Amino acid sequence: MLEVRNLDSFYGELQVLRQVSLHVDAGEVVALFGPNGHGKSTLLKAISGLHPPTAGSVKFQGEEIAKLPAHKIVERGLVYIPEERHLFPDMTVMENLLLGAYPPRARKRVKSNLEFVFHIFPKLEMRQKQLCSTLSGGEARMVAIARGLMSETGLLLVDEPSIGLSPGMRKAVFEAIAAINRERGITILIVEQEIENALALSNRFYLLKKGQIAFERPTDQVDIAEIEKAYF
Amino acid sequence: METIVNTLISGLISGSLYAAMALGLTIIYGVSRVFNFGHGVVALIGAYLTWMALQSFGVPFLPATLFALAAMFLLGVGIYRLAIKPLLQKPNWEFSTVLFMLGAGILLENVLLQLFGPRVKSIPTFLTGRLIIGFVEINGHELALIAIVIIFIILLSLFFKYTRLGQAMRAVAQSIPGARVVGIDIDRIFSYTFGLAFLVTGFSGILLGTKYYLNPHIGWEWMVKGFVITTFGGLGSTTGAIYAAIILGVVEALATLYLGAIWVWPIWFGMFMIILLLRPQGLLGGRL
Repeated sequence: MLEVRNLDSFYGELQVLRQVSLHVDAGEVVALFGPNGHGKSTLLKAISGLHPPTAGSVKFQGEEIAKLPAHKIVERGLVYIPEERHLFPDMTVMENLLLGAYPPRARKRVKSNLEFVFHIFPKLEMRQKQLCSTLSGGEARMVAIARGLMSETGLLLVDEPSIGLSPGMRKAVFEAIAAINRERGITILIVEQEIENALALSNRFYLLKKGQIAFERPTDQVDIAEIEKAYF
Repeated sequence: METIVNTLISGLISGSLYAAMALGLTIIYGVSRVFNFGHGVVALIGAYLTWMALQSFGVPFLPATLFALAAMFLLGVGIYRLAIKPLLQKPNWEFSTVLFMLGAGILLENVLLQLFGPRVKSIPTFLTGRLIIGFVEINGHELALIAIVIIFIILLSLFFKYTRLGQAMRAVAQSIPGARVVGIDIDRIFSYTFGLAFLVTGFSGILLGTKYYLNPHIGWEWMVKGFVITTFGGLGSTTGAIYAAIILGVVEALATLYLGAIWVWPIWFGMFMIILLLRPQGLLGGRL
């Protein structure tokens, strides 16, 4: 479904990603671990066209997308959910969700996607008329994920969904992500600091260190000590 | 009593015209963060185009207006594509776009001067007669102006709330990264925003041209008024701009009545500075 080859990315003079290659197969949940500031978010932004890579190839459903503008990539069903959420603050929850369905393909599926979103986040159905600037951090996170689902996605890139949330909210978010994969068959690439929770829902993981893939493992052969060591 | 009521009404009339004029400035700033320093001349171009269609080609009012609005839309899109878009991709775009629009304003002012000459012009009123209720006396044309502005503002807010393009413009105004994440083509929305804002501004110029005399230099006065109104109301807030325009319109009428027209600017700017000191975000703040 997603095939990344030899990706390089820069911020100004600073090279953040070096020759990164990874793949995500249809239906999988793949986790991406690594210390802060070592390029995880940059990799997701490079894949989704928000910070285009300087070299390398990104293939989505067999087609090259590395040179496409961000909106064209969303239209194909590759959706990024930013850690910073980036909601529309002076719009209601419902308006935010409907803007998630901005791509032409998604507009035809508004009704069934809304149903699914309210099924995994029942709280949002009660909050639909509320302005997003008045939501709690956890609710705002739910809206961000829900808005991404409204875009009729095949591959979801989720950036640190549990960051800054209470333990209860964290659990709800992880359960929702598992449900997105299980019930809709949506492929997921997730960046997360909560290693154990993320391992519980993924099939494989990559470890990204200093802008390079250090290693890759299936989650059933995991050695937490090995991951933790990589962080230091 | 009679004078006060009639003064308030005349304040409301100019206030609603100012509101229409300030909207275009607010729309561009709200969506793209570009402050259009050529705003007044843009309004003036709308008025002159209509005048030209009416007087030189003898076209009736409605088609003349539609012609001017279509031309304004294209002018906005053209200026965005040719100049603003490349400037936005460079550092210091906040400053360079302001200077560019200021320069474009001066250039276009002189184009108007060459084409139409320095003599004042006016667009004929579309209604004559007066409405008299007790001691209140309103000129039919001015009543029509208020009605047109109200309908126009309602149409614009419906556009922003219910159309796909309008919602996308609000989305871009509130969060550009958010808009990119949901697949909005920012460049396309900026382009339409300039088109729409020029159209709105041109329309306000037409309405102003039916009440005040036109000359190629009056745009700067409109520009400063628009600047005060949008900042007073909260930059980028359409509702704030409407309130601010009405308040300042009424203040203008009262100041003219009691102190003389020469006091209008000092009082406007006094209020403007007080509001900036107390509420730097303006009356309402907020976003499109």
